[in-house]
Amino acid sequence: MRELLEVSGISVSFDGFRAINNLSFSIGPAELRAVIGPNGAGKTTFMDIVTGKTRPDEGRVLWGERSIDLLKLDEAQIARQGVGRKFQRPTVFEDQTVAENLMMALKAPRSPWRVLVWTPKAADHARVAALAAQVGLGEALSRKSGELSHGQKQWLEIGMLLAQEPRLLLVDEPAAGMTLAEREQTTALLVELAKTHAVVVVEHDMDFVRRLNCKVTVLHEGAVLAEGSLDHVTANQQVIDVYLGR
Amino acid sequence: MTQPMTQGFLSKNPSVLIFLGLLALFTLTVTVLSNAYGLDLVSTSMVKTLGKTLCLCLIALAMDLVWGYMGILSLGHFAFFGLGGYMIGMWLMVARSRDIVLASANGLPMTPQELNDAIAAQIFGVVGASEMPAIWALAGSLPAQLALVVLVPGLLALGFGWLAFRSRVTGVYLSILTQAMTLALALYLYQNDSGLRGNNGLSGLQNIPGLDWAGQDRLSVWFLWASALALGLGYLACAFTVSGKFGSVMRAIRDDEARVRFLGYPVEGYKLFVFTLTALIAAVAGALYYPQAGIINPAEVAPIASIYLAVWVAIGGRGRLWGAVIGAAFVSIVSTWFTGGRAPDLPLGFYTVKWVDWWQVLLGLSFVLVTLFAPKGLSGLVDGLAGLRPPQRRGAALGPDEGALLEKEARE
Repeated sequence: MRELLEVSGISVSFDGFRAINNLSFSIGPAELRAVIGPNGAGKTTFMDIVTGKTRPDEGRVLWGERSIDLLKLDEAQIARQGVGRKFQRPTVFEDQTVAENLMMALKAPRSPWRVLVWTPKAADHARVAALAAQVGLGEALSRKSGELSHGQKQWLEIGMLLAQEPRLLLVDEPAAGMTLAEREQTTALLVELAKTHAVVVVEHDMDFVRRLNCKVTVLHEGAVLAEGSLDHVTANQQVIDVYLGR
Repeated sequence: MTQPMTQGFLSKNPSVLIFLGLLALFTLTVTVLSNAYGLDLVSTSMVKTLGKTLCLCLIALAMDLVWGYMGILSLGHFAFFGLGGYMIGMWLMVARSRDIVLASANGLPMTPQELNDAIAAQIFGVVGASEMPAIWALAGSLPAQLALVVLVPGLLALGFGWLAFRSRVTGVYLSILTQAMTLALALYLYQNDSGLRGNNGLSGLQNIPGLDWAGQDRLSVWFLWASALALGLGYLACAFTVSGKFGSVMRAIRDDEARVRFLGYPVEGYKLFVFTLTALIAAVAGALYYPQAGIINPAEVAPIASIYLAVWVAIGGRGRLWGAVIGAAFVSIVSTWFTGGRAPDLPLGFYTVKWVDWWQVLLGLSFVLVTLFAPKGLSGLVDGLAGLRPPQRRGAALGPDEGALLEKEARE
């Protein structure tokens, strides 16, 4: 199958520190992938590059069937191409209601002129309500999202990610701050999503990764150290040395 | 879904109707009390002050949109206000001078060239020039100058905003840039070479050509009506902009613009849109203000004017439209009272406080106090009267997470 995202040979340095060193990575249109690695391995920087927040010094990032060069686009354009991101710390717009947050994320025209004249149709309200119900916030639509608990904010952000209808989901530590039951719910959701979407999960928690039961990419010092099933990479001596052994 | 699917804009925003009703009531009251159309209880100069205040309320609305809702602390919006005034002032001066020249010619025939030269001499004699500068080419035509009222400030805002936002200048650096813009404009206008009569500015703007028969007492009421109409329409336009998804995106950009980018919204485009829209509103306000003030000079676009604008909006309560309006109205009317010499001196024994000198200190102090203790400004007082208080978040949290319900709230 043709890959959805192809990252090849990217490198980036911050003040002489090489955060990403000749990294290559690719993912298909319907695939679940876990990215693990110790702190400072370049996991977040990798996501920053794919989403346009950071420009690499060299390398290529190609997207989709028409091999669009993502490095030529800004963050908003990349997001409109269908790359959605969930941050580690929940970042929702706390001054606005759950419904407003979801409505803003809902897939629709994004340009100022069209947003100004856009009014939600019954179908849009229904979609927002359905998304809220899916993430357990069906009763909280009119609440300010700042009033929600940490876990609920996590869920709201996942709801916003789904509302965007991205083709690729970059999910940074989704299980942080969640209860065991919520983790299981999250795992199920991610596995289900990966049937039709590309999903990249950055995670520290090995139990969580094991439950995802997918291909794992291990990053170390800005490069891919190993790739394969979790059992395969955990058997790798280098991986044990730099990551698991500590 | 508890929320009805289809709701009119006005029924969703009842404050708009209340505002428009109060504005109409105010305009009607002043008209009934005016010299020209009623009981002669309000002097013509007071009508002008009130009309000018409505224009200031309109630019305060623009400031609230760009600052209160979008988070761009622009300290340069009076540049657009002043440019709007200059553009209408050019037509007023040319048309008025043409009337004067034709009257003094006593019906003697003049070639168009002679007429132009005489008008130029009439306008520019004060700066020792007699040539009509190129920028006055369209000044003889009212439709052209009316178009320039919105085109010149609009293009300046578009060009400035495009450069500033594209480079992702934000926060205090952007504020400084906007201030530099208005300062540069003021310094440019101060030069006689700029072709707008240097520090003399444009004067005699209260005389509307062709309407001499109406007299200032009637003109002042007409301008009050026009200002009220502009404020009403501006309020509707602003309320429409900040309601719905566009307003949601604006507030989201204010709170976390990087996150908005990852949702796919072109943040720079939104900033440019709102910056230019508010510049246009400011320009219209300026074009209505200066014929009532009678004179415009470069000091009007000095940075201090735009800083005052930020103070009005802060004192009124930013982030809500009527807050900005009451802030501008309250501060500028109180300012008129204090600086007009009508406020009684305050003798302290060892020193007598003369309000003309001390008003600005009082204003500065109230700005600091409002910022520190009443971030919602005067509009917070209205909330208090209406019984809308923010929840008193006291007592131990019921849950382990930040933002969990607190004991006291849960009991209520």
